[in-house]
Amino acid sequence: MRQLGLGLTMAAAGLVMALQTARADEELPIGVIAAQSGSFVSAGNTIVGAANLAAQQINDAGGIKVGDKTYKIKLYIRDNRTDVNVSIAAARELVNDIGVKAIWGTETHDFSVSMAKITGPAKVLQFSGNSSLGAVLDDKAIADDGWLHYTFQSEPQEWQRSGSTAKGVLSLLTPQLKSPPKHSVVFVGNDATGQYLSSHYVKALEAEGQKVDLVQYPPDTTDFSPLLTRIKGMKPDIVHFWYNGDSTLTAFPQALKLGVAPSYFLFGVDPGIYQERSLKADVPVTLSCVPVCWGSSPFPEVKQYFDKYFGLGAAKGPQSSVSLLYYDYFFWYAKALEKVGTIDDPDAVVAELLKSDYKGVVSPVPLVFNKHHQVTFATEVCMVEPNTSDQFKCAVEQPPGAPPPGDNGG
Amino acid sequence: MPMTDNSAGKTGAAPEGARARDRLALLTADNASVPLPAGVQAITAILLAVLLIALPWLGLGYRFLSIAITTLYTAIALYGLGLQFGQAGIMSVGHSALMGVGAYASAILSVQLGLGFWTSLPFAMALSAIVGGVIGPPTLRVGGQHYIIITFCFCALFVIVLTNGGTFTGSATGLDVGSVTPLPGINFDKLSNNYYLVLAALFLALAATYLIGNSRYGRKLRAIRENEQLARSVGINVDLHKLGVLMVSGLFAGLAGVLQLYYLRHISPTLFGAFPSLYLALMIMLGGARYLYGPLIGAVVVNFLPEVLNLDPVDSRIAYGVCLLLVILLLPGGVGAGIKNIYCAIAGESETQKQSGGSNGRA
Repeated sequence: MRQLGLGLTMAAAGLVMALQTARADEELPIGVIAAQSGSFVSAGNTIVGAANLAAQQINDAGGIKVGDKTYKIKLYIRDNRTDVNVSIAAARELVNDIGVKAIWGTETHDFSVSMAKITGPAKVLQFSGNSSLGAVLDDKAIADDGWLHYTFQSEPQEWQRSGSTAKGVLSLLTPQLKSPPKHSVVFVGNDATGQYLSSHYVKALEAEGQKVDLVQYPPDTTDFSPLLTRIKGMKPDIVHFWYNGDSTLTAFPQALKLGVAPSYFLFGVDPGIYQERSLKADVPVTLSCVPVCWGSSPFPEVKQYFDKYFGLGAAKGPQSSVSLLYYDYFFWYAKALEKVGTIDDPDAVVAELLKSDYKGVVSPVPLVFNKHHQVTFATEVCMVEPNTSDQFKCAVEQPPGAPPPGDNGG
Repeated sequence: MPMTDNSAGKTGAAPEGARARDRLALLTADNASVPLPAGVQAITAILLAVLLIALPWLGLGYRFLSIAITTLYTAIALYGLGLQFGQAGIMSVGHSALMGVGAYASAILSVQLGLGFWTSLPFAMALSAIVGGVIGPPTLRVGGQHYIIITFCFCALFVIVLTNGGTFTGSATGLDVGSVTPLPGINFDKLSNNYYLVLAALFLALAATYLIGNSRYGRKLRAIRENEQLARSVGINVDLHKLGVLMVSGLFAGLAGVLQLYYLRHISPTLFGAFPSLYLALMIMLGGARYLYGPLIGAVVVNFLPEVLNLDPVDSRIAYGVCLLLVILLLPGGVGAGIKNIYCAIAGESETQKQSGGSNGRA
């Protein structure tokens, strides 16, 4: 009888503890929409990898303490298959069927814009990396009743990134060339992101005294030799492969074979992947990463981040560094929730994000959202020593204080 | 006796084999001209309508409903392509460009003049029809694969124009629009209402396809499809009818494009490029261009197959390729034909013929 009593007491205690644990571990549903298949897979993988790492670290650290409750992040990851219709269906499912509080993604301007038309009315926060959102994040859109009030751009404004990149590339390449470079060709994919990004980058190069020619290639091009031959005829000092890392990794070896220019810049190609692919050039090549580089960064916290990121099984892609555009914002969002004291007041969370700052891996300086829901941070630019795959010289360039002439900043 | 037995065996096997061959032939034949009983047609139509109307009430979730909307507006465009290809025999692999004409016309009218969904819809449909007619004349001079190449070029050219159209077309970034203007008591921001809007348009497209298919005009189109010279020799104005059907097809595509625009509320050139066009062609061939429900079946298969089987884009393309090969080999009339053939095999062709009314299962 005494044993039975003891057993019942222990069972009751176990039940109480289990219930307490269940109460303590409430779920914070967060959605991730990214291309895990299709043509944008290398960009999409970075979102998923960053989200998995951030959620695991936050949960392992005990979760998010909001008021008297502790929340563990529950990720709902959806593959958009690089298809806008699937992105929309996934957003509807996450917002309406599951009831997520925030969504991270996507990797593409068009998809992010269409998603924002679902997340906005539902008051679900959306963190999208696309700097091209700058074209639509205006006063009206981010107003309390605006359709982008709950959307945040986790990449810096494009004029800032273009400015710091142009400055970094030219300062690294100038000492390597016989004479200071005067003529640049920007080679870019002719799609929404490519057009938007290159419009700012051309202005940034011109502000640095470059004569710039813009050559666009159709998306999904695989044989770049006709266009590269045309570029060679322009006799440029630098060819800037802009925007799409996957396309650049196809085009760059073709350019080397054709001897198109005495120097190159590869945007969106991490030193890590340059090394992995054993790429080599007999001319100076610069690379830039958004925001800091995988494979060469001198910052220990960045190296530590990438060790953990790949340790969790993330794929090594041309733009793995882009994952940082999503990772830090999980912690910032968690911090805002803790401050607001509830997960059910998105307006208060938006207000808190706009007045708070967060120092993460992405930047040594605390991140701050401006009134248009955009952040500011520096760009890391690296140069590969000729005939090597792993000898990098890197520099962090701060963004300019204002857009260059002819760039309205939007 | 054994001889007799053997002989009897042979005699018995021959009709059995012949019957099997007949059955196979019946299953794989293109039975577009075999009429279905009017009762069967009516029951099919009612069941389909009930199913489609009840869909939002089945608790399948927003994801399912979203893909259903995509499927329905795609099917509307396919009904236009079905008339053009299934009835008149003019195939196009640039049909999404006609959808794009409608979508962009509506978006530009919204951005530049502030016109909403309802006011811009007729203009957008009319413009798609006109463009369908404008690219039509080559089909009067060339046919078959030559016209297919022309439509592909039109599609590529259309995307280039949009991508480099500056602020007018929004360039590669595209254009944004607001919600569908609400009707009294109906807010189309609600997904189920948006679904019913697209469904109503689909019913219109179905009805129009049925009426055209069973009209004198439809018979003339089929005469042109089967033998253009003969049709001309019996006094059918082939050129006029070809242009006419291309314009009707454009009208359908324009409607689908505007519905797509107001569903996504953002459009960009990539939505109307070569790949979406090829997918439309794939859907119509899978579903069956000559059958009333063929376009709808094709749209359902292609839109829901990756969802149901959780296929990534590469696997999906492989699956579509395999499906297309199977359809070409086994069901030349498409899945629609296959379903009809199964019915014919079960019911018996003779009985089908006996019971048939004036109309049939084809469009």
